[in-house]
Amino acid sequence: MKIIPFWGCMMPLKYPQMELAIRRTLPNLGVELVDIDDFTCCPDPIYFKARDKMKWLTIAARNLAVAEETGLDIVTMCSGCISTLKEAQYLLAEDQALKDEVNKRLKRINKEYKGKVKVSHAVVVIRDDLGLDVVKKSVKRSLEGITVAIHYGCHILKPSQIMHVDDADYPSILDDFVAAMGATPLEHHEKLLCCGKGCMDDELPLDMTEAIFSSIEKSGADCMGLVCPTCFSSFDLGQIMISRKRGKNYNIPVIYLFQLLGLAQGLGPEEVGLHTHRVKADKVLEKIVG
Amino acid sequence: MAKKKVVVNFRFREKLNKIPGGKHHNYCYQCSACVAVCPAARFSKEFNPRKILLQALLGAEEDLLGKDSPIWLCTNCYSCYERCPQDVRPIEVIIALKNMAVEKETAPTNLAKLTENITKTGMSVMVSSAVHRRRKELGLPELKTIPLDEMKEILKDEETKEQSSIEQKTNK
Ligand code: SF4
Ligand code: SF4
Repeated sequence: MKIIPFWGCMMPLKYPQMELAIRRTLPNLGVELVDIDDFTCCPDPIYFKARDKMKWLTIAARNLAVAEETGLDIVTMCSGCISTLKEAQYLLAEDQALKDEVNKRLKRINKEYKGKVKVSHAVVVIRDDLGLDVVKKSVKRSLEGITVAIHYGCHILKPSQIMHVDDADYPSILDDFVAAMGATPLEHHEKLLCCGKGCMDDELPLDMTEAIFSSIEKSGADCMGLVCPTCFSSFDLGQIMISRKRGKNYNIPVIYLFQLLGLAQGLGPEEVGLHTHRVKADKVLEKIVG
Repeated sequence: MAKKKVVVNFRFREKLNKIPGGKHHNYCYQCSACVAVCPAARFSKEFNPRKILLQALLGAEEDLLGKDSPIWLCTNCYSCYERCPQDVRPIEVIIALKNMAVEKETAPTNLAKLTENITKTGMSVMVSSAVHRRRKELGLPELKTIPLDEMKEILKDEETKEQSSIEQKTNK
């Protein structure tokens, strides 16, 4: 299966270990990544959208138009990118006047957004197009007994009328993904709480991440598993911030789920960039790789 | 108790209606379903999406667009959008309000910092030499080209756009 990866900014520029994990694991599931030029930032659905929603929509539509020209589907691995691109598609489909206005701007560069391209997220492609059995078959190293506290993150699920990824209140897509790798997803109370990154405040985001950390701590999970780079920043660097500002040390390793998949497929921790994380994953890695 | 006279600032509401997502504020019937699921409301007494919608319905410009407006505490989680029975899409109304605050120059100063890279470089994160080095260390391919010119062209406002085509003509 051929797909166009829409990498966005956070993965290639801030957390390249995530891009690495994707590039190493998807081919093992029979996916061929066809990189193309000409994408920009999606743009980000929090700050840039807060600055100017019309410009936010225009840039998103340009990215969609670029993808459309190739005739292939685009796949994002970032919850922010999927949120922006899918919402833009939704808005442009429901409001013809808005679409005309955006296309008027795109015409300046001889582009047009027609509304034909399909935008998906890698975990959705895996569940719906490839099937989780393909994940199971790619496993070379047992993750048996490894417990993972999943953090869903908001943007991949909500609003479900746009995202169509899963039930926003009782999602299972990431749990099933982790289970297919052979690890055990663990329930915890704050599994669906927002990481807080979007609030422009010093304390609120820390209150939210702390609520999540203590919920995970109680669950006794070996690590935290997620798919959103912005959430990753809240939890990896976030634990260092909490230790500095509030004197609490949680020591919960935060793993991007495609890094976990890489480990399951037999790759080494450095091959999926786990050595770049602030909170070291040594303990759980000892259990996995010995 | 004497009844307080309620004055609605319709001009403000009309302005809000014009921003994508803004006009859905009209549908709010103040049920508080959004408050029940809002994490910012759970962790801060100062934040309440129903109240923000009420202020939008009243056109309470000063409360909403003042320097210490609560709108910036919203964490963009979309829970209210998911839950609202009236399709108000509260977060989108809040974002429209943020756009208005930006125009009024009352938005938090770091918002400009957090977004300037996109209009300057096409990416939200700076493409520094350290980025290239880290990618190389991990064995990742070179970054693809970023079409900054195209992005700048589509972001131009109408007047400046016309101006630039006039400039182009005179240049020719
Ligand atoms: S925004 Fe929606 S959920 Fe919130 S009070 Fe209004 S109608 Fe109710
Ligand atoms: S998007 Fe904002 S207002 Fe809506 S539930 Fe989340 S924090 Fe509350």
